Amino acid sequence: MLLELFEWLGKDMRLFNVFSYITLRTVMSAMTALVISFVIGPWMIRKLTSLKIGQSVRDDGPQSHLIKAGTPTMGGALILTAVVVTTLLWADLSNRYVWTCLVTTIGFGVIGWIDDYRKVVHKNSKGLSAKSKFFWQTVIAATALSYLAFRANLPQQTDLIVPFFKTVAIPLGAVGFIILGWFVVVGFSNAVNLTDGLDGLAIMPTVMVASALAIFAYVAGHKVFSTYLGVPYIAGAGELAVFCGAIAGAGLAFLWFNAYPAEVFMGDVGALALGAALGLVAVVCRQEIVLIIMGGVFVVETLSVMIQVASFKLTGKRVFRMAPLHHHYELKGWKENQVVVRFWIITMMLVLFGLSTLKLR
Amino acid sequence: MAIRKAHDVKIWARLTRGAGLSTVCGGDQNLHVRFWIITMTLVLFGLSTLKLR
Repeated sequence: MLLELFEWLGKDMRLFNVFSYITLRTVMSAMTALVISFVIGPWMIRKLTSLKIGQSVRDDGPQSHLIKAGTPTMGGALILTAVVVTTLLWADLSNRYVWTCLVTTIGFGVIGWIDDYRKVVHKNSKGLSAKSKFFWQTVIAATALSYLAFRANLPQQTDLIVPFFKTVAIPLGAVGFIILGWFVVVGFSNAVNLTDGLDGLAIMPTVMVASALAIFAYVAGHKVFSTYLGVPYIAGAGELAVFCGAIAGAGLAFLWFNAYPAEVFMGDVGALALGAALGLVAVVCRQEIVLIIMGGVFVVETLSVMIQVASFKLTGKRVFRMAPLHHHYELKGWKENQVVVRFWIITMMLVLFGLSTLKLR
Repeated sequence: MAIRKAHDVKIWARLTRGAGLSTVCGGDQNLHVRFWIITMTLVLFGLSTLKLR
């Protein structure tokens, strides 16, 4: 929205032309999302508290978590509001990737919202059934991916890019692209949701991965840089850097309220939406494998749940003291803060490793 | 002396309430994270000077 305004103003005053650069708009978008979240955050927390939208804590979880019961949840609505408003303000609204990511993120947010609403307001402990949640996630992801697949006009827009190899690109075709994309989008959406079990644990890795994806999106959308670095050139993908900047800014401001001891939780509305957003940006930039590396904490948390369930069903024994993995470490004696900050450090290293794939190919 | 110290702490907490700093004296545990966020924001602002010149 602002881009059009600045372009119009730039005709008379060259000063405004600086806003046509994606890099600056990405920084501005992060700042704007940060400010929006800081401004409406306290109001939203008060509102959620007054509406008694408090988190219920699993009674089979660590005992130390029982004191968290009643902390307002659905704070993800704050992140979503900031991301949507900021993206509409700073991104190029004629870009189809921006709209695809925005609509998908909102769609996943709505699923999370319904789930949270049923759990918290209607006191229905099960919320949305796993099957219907999965079904709607699939519908939204498949729609977005089909749109991307059938609008792709170059093979590199659907090929699977293998990091560290400059010339290796596996052709997937439209169907393969949709299937792989579905795994990434739906998988990441649920992975972030599973990771969101300790104060600040999910949001900071989300901020870090979103920031790195902003760089990947910028490079993928830049003809010179993408050619130089051997990354597939995806015309228009650079605009997603603005979207990622908004996620990073809104996430950082949310952390202000979500840091231990949390004043608010993001709930499914935030976790499902943010995971889907990261997944879809990676799919557009053809960096699915790099996303799996950078979001290693999310992946390992999900695997810990799968291994625990499979092991218990097959052998009757548990591999971890408790799943997801963060509870295992808590029960081993790590303090909540230690688990959170150590997982952040691991994510930081993984993100740096992921970024190194830009050059190491 | 102790009464005066308690009074100072109370005044400081009242003055800084709402700025997220009220707990400097109270030992709020999320203070360090909030200082990281401020640093990160400043870094972001610093980076923007690369383009804004």
